[in-house]
Amino acid sequence: MSWQAVDRTRVPEEQLGPGLSEAVKEKIRAFFSRYPTKQAAVLPALHIAQDALGYVSLRAMKELAELLEIPPSKVMDVVTFYTHFWTHPKGRKTLLLCRSISCELLGAGKLKDAIRQRLGIGEHETTPDGEYSFMTEECLAACDHAPCLMVNEKMHKCVRPEDLERILADADNDRLDIPRSDLFDAP
Amino acid sequence: MPTITIDGKKVDCREGVPVLQAALEAGLEVPHYCYHPGLSIVASCRLCLMEMKMPNPQTKELEWAPRLFPSCQTPVRDGMEVRFESPAVQGNQQHVMEYYLVNHPLDCPVCDKAGECYLQDYSERFGHASSRMVEDKHKNPKKNIGSDTLLYQDRCVLCTRCVRFCDEIAGAGELRVVDRGNRCEIDVFPGVPLDNPLQGNVVDLCPVGALLDKGFLFRQRVWMLRHTPSVSPADSSGATIWIDHNDEGVHRCRPRFNERVNQWWISDEQRFAWRAYVRREHERLTLPRQRRGGETETVRWEDLPAILRFRFEQAARAPSGPQAPAPGSKVAAVLSPMMSCEEAWLLGRFIRSVAPQATLVLGHVPVVGQDRTFAKGFVIRAEKCPNRRGVERAMESLGGPNLALADFLKAAGEGKFAAAYVVGGYPESWVTPDMQKPLAKVEFLVVHDLFASPLSAAATIVIPGASWMEREGTFMNCDGLVQPFERAIVPLEGVKSDGQFFHELCGEPGLFRSRRTREKMAETMPEFASVFVPRQEPEYAH
Amino acid sequence: MPYEKILTRNVGVPGSTSLKAYQAAGGYEGARKALAMKPDELVELVKKANLRGRGGAGFPAGVKWSFLPPNRDVTYLCVNADESEPPTFCNRVLMESDPHMLLEGILIAGYATRTTIAYIYMRGEFTEQFHIMQRAVDEAYAAGYFGRNVLGSGYDIECYIHRGAGAYVCGEETGLIESLEGKRGWPRIKPPFPAVEGLFRKPTVVNNVETLACLPHILTRGVDWWLALGPKGSHGTKMYCVSGPVKRPGCYEAPLGISTRELIYGPDFGGGMRDGMKVKACSPGGLSMGFLRGDLFPKNPSADKLDLAQDYDELDCKLDFDDTRRYGLLGLGTAAAVVVGEDTDIRDVLVNVARFYAHESCGQCTQCREGTGWMYKIAQRIRAGAGRRYDLDLLAEITTNMGMMPGLSICGLPDGAAWPIRTLVQRFRREFERHIDAQAPGAVEQAIRRVNPAAYELPIVQGRAVAPERGSMSYEHEWSNAAGT
Repeated sequence: MSWQAVDRTRVPEEQLGPGLSEAVKEKIRAFFSRYPTKQAAVLPALHIAQDALGYVSLRAMKELAELLEIPPSKVMDVVTFYTHFWTHPKGRKTLLLCRSISCELLGAGKLKDAIRQRLGIGEHETTPDGEYSFMTEECLAACDHAPCLMVNEKMHKCVRPEDLERILADADNDRLDIPRSDLFDAP
Repeated sequence: MPTITIDGKKVDCREGVPVLQAALEAGLEVPHYCYHPGLSIVASCRLCLMEMKMPNPQTKELEWAPRLFPSCQTPVRDGMEVRFESPAVQGNQQHVMEYYLVNHPLDCPVCDKAGECYLQDYSERFGHASSRMVEDKHKNPKKNIGSDTLLYQDRCVLCTRCVRFCDEIAGAGELRVVDRGNRCEIDVFPGVPLDNPLQGNVVDLCPVGALLDKGFLFRQRVWMLRHTPSVSPADSSGATIWIDHNDEGVHRCRPRFNERVNQWWISDEQRFAWRAYVRREHERLTLPRQRRGGETETVRWEDLPAILRFRFEQAARAPSGPQAPAPGSKVAAVLSPMMSCEEAWLLGRFIRSVAPQATLVLGHVPVVGQDRTFAKGFVIRAEKCPNRRGVERAMESLGGPNLALADFLKAAGEGKFAAAYVVGGYPESWVTPDMQKPLAKVEFLVVHDLFASPLSAAATIVIPGASWMEREGTFMNCDGLVQPFERAIVPLEGVKSDGQFFHELCGEPGLFRSRRTREKMAETMPEFASVFVPRQEPEYAH
Repeated sequence: MPYEKILTRNVGVPGSTSLKAYQAAGGYEGARKALAMKPDELVELVKKANLRGRGGAGFPAGVKWSFLPPNRDVTYLCVNADESEPPTFCNRVLMESDPHMLLEGILIAGYATRTTIAYIYMRGEFTEQFHIMQRAVDEAYAAGYFGRNVLGSGYDIECYIHRGAGAYVCGEETGLIESLEGKRGWPRIKPPFPAVEGLFRKPTVVNNVETLACLPHILTRGVDWWLALGPKGSHGTKMYCVSGPVKRPGCYEAPLGISTRELIYGPDFGGGMRDGMKVKACSPGGLSMGFLRGDLFPKNPSADKLDLAQDYDELDCKLDFDDTRRYGLLGLGTAAAVVVGEDTDIRDVLVNVARFYAHESCGQCTQCREGTGWMYKIAQRIRAGAGRRYDLDLLAEITTNMGMMPGLSICGLPDGAAWPIRTLVQRFRREFERHIDAQAPGAVEQAIRRVNPAAYELPIVQGRAVAPERGSMSYEHEWSNAAGT
């Protein structure tokens, strides 16, 4: 045949990826009481799943669907709509660079080039050692500190390309200096 | 009944319908993709926008509001005034049509939908001949999303009808929109394909060539097809369908709107019922045959009535000894629930005319599982034959001795019947050994069936039947609704349509016409005086 | 001139996030006062204060609350903390420095609307802010400001933080509601409005963070004090954001109605441009509101007569609900200004803006889904040095078809995409044309033939006029008249 179709009707077992542990499921169930429907807990559930697995695997989506009593397609729908969820494995730390107008006016473009050169990865890619992943994001709402770069939960402000080395050298570059709430695990 | 003004014309409309529906019912052509009367309203295609008169906040006078309203989402109110014939509305239609083609591959020459595609129709009617888009098009993949369905994502206009259908009508929710913006796609979860029993409807619902039936893929250009209204024989619900066919045979079945039964939908069983007949075409019986000793020989159709009349009369006249079933004679007819009402009645009349005390038996009624009711009331019936009630009604009106199939087989096994006329017509094999053995005791066995079977091999006379696509008549569904179906294709060579044969058997002159037969039936069965024909729907974009 | 800091009083104050510090400064007094009133009295009070929503549309909060059906057993309050409009960050600053002010506002609004559950929908990018807010919520629960029988008043309210995950459109109120229900954030068609049928199909109020944060102050200091702030019709203070190459980017509080120039150059605000640069362009109300010409352009000689067709300096535009419209902007928006310096290529700004909307369009309505993507591709081609003069007209036309006329789409995102691109193309047309004229000969043909080798010469160079005689373009004139009457 001259055309090819992507086969969505079956998926090899190994592509399903890791599943959720009972502890993670328990953490998700704790959110059920907050909403009148179980489906409403899908966003917190996905955050928790991603924090635990590093990304949202197909198996995790299936297990979440079972947990939330919705078809797995609805979970996939939500996962793909929001930009924060990764459907392929990401590194331990995610560099999230703002590319919105204030940051770009003040040199986010140069910073992006510097990151890509320094780490040798493009957007949505991960370094070979599994340490860093990189993606850009529309507006991190810190335009007063442009250009800004987030490493997991930690916001680095007014980052110039020459600051990059210092940030990457710091092992605790993703550690918040305020007390964390334990509602969500650190990624 | 509210009256509204559309483009200066007064239109009477049904209570509570959207303006779009009222406009379509009034015969206006209003482009739309996402709106479907059977689904929830999302108002996302933005093609059906209209202008409406609203009170000016300053002067309180009615005037055209300086904005557009989605006509699919605005319910009719008595006295409201709307218009589609205005620069703003038509300008919007033009622009939206241009946007639809921004990323469309324009591969109509190889698209199955071409000819019945609403992207083509609306572009022609409301859009432009050319696009100003000179950039790279976003290319989406083709996807295999189920055993019967393919998704050509690049042709999709994201009306989300298929998604809503799977959610609301089928209740399975396999299809979803994934990603966002102009990267949006329709998709299934990998490994959870589209396989609900109503899935075929998404192909009909798709206004463009995105969702395609694998069985119909690259088979026919739709303008080569003729459409015949019919009723599905797949179950007892009496779902009305269109049979799309041409000289090469039948190519597909589509739902035909029916407000009392199946609405806009049919189940896959009903949709693909025709395939069973085609698949087994080589097994079809093609000429009437008669057994003489160990050999069989063909009989001319013209000779059959005389032979049957003679043999049945002979059997009926035979002395009714202690073995005969009291009070009937030794003659019986097994009427299949695959027969139309007219055929059952004609055959019953023939048998009674040659053997007034002949026993009438309702044939095998195939039942699979339980009735299955879907979220919005669509039912797949467990009874997998179209006309049990119609046959029962004909038997009731003819009166006289009746037997249930099991009792008949028991009696036949005891040798109580000398002659029997057994009608089949089922698409699948239906003869079981329990049936075969007692019927072997019947001296003169006539089998009228579609396919060769052990029973036809044992019969004295075998009469080839025609499939429902090759016949005309009426079916009475499980709720007693009498609905006509028309002949779509000519019977297989050598086969005479059942109705015509029974017509001749009864000694009627000329051609069999189901309507004329019904007129006669109506003398004893008033429900056949008129048949139910569904409301004519306006043309929706599907 | 210096203005009193009301909402921003704790910005940069260490330790201001704790309940203790907040209570020491008279915190939760407003809530106590509110709980002593009847809910309907409270609604009347907020109506009297004419507190206009700070999220962009400026709809009075009290009026919004009064749309709730009178007989209801469940009411939800959604706090819109999905601040995604670039370059807005006032909610982040507020939640970072004064989380309890927001919580007190939630309690007051919740009591007035008889809310049973309040959800704070916080965008996923807010991580630090989430932990600060969550801590504050825990403290407030422990102190009895939330939960059952709040402060002995018999009123029960739950308050949860719901984290988003990166979608601009979830800042639209019905998109937010859909997202909270665990679906994709596709805005809903209205009617029904959320006040009647919102979250989980129950009556729902959606309010912005800043709106709610005003409530404690209105209650403690009285309506008269509030009404004395700012010009008539736009009472109270507004948190202005200014970012870009200014000396002091940040969030500043002032009554409504300061001028754009003051926001950029005022010593209490932006403090002027870095390196003595001039302003090329400024989007004074968040990206979606559109761009003004900066002081790189000459001053309008007749100061009282506005002439938008000429390339004059437009920084005198006052930041309130009316003057922004006079200057051809969509509205006040979030009052977050981004300044484009003279060193920036206007084509980069166009690409950035177009990319934002193409990335964030939710994909529901056709115009927005396809139009934003198309505009981004055109903008990229112009930046790559293969633009046509015709592309500028085309961009202007796409913006008109997408969102200039109300009712073309379900939500306001395409309008928001249309204004900045339209204002950029119109106001900086001469600069675009300079770039286009300086392109290598044949650049356009080359770029387009790469996509479609069969493209015809004439349309490439001149563009194609598709049905110029009709369309919403021609209608625009009538509409602007109608709006003017």
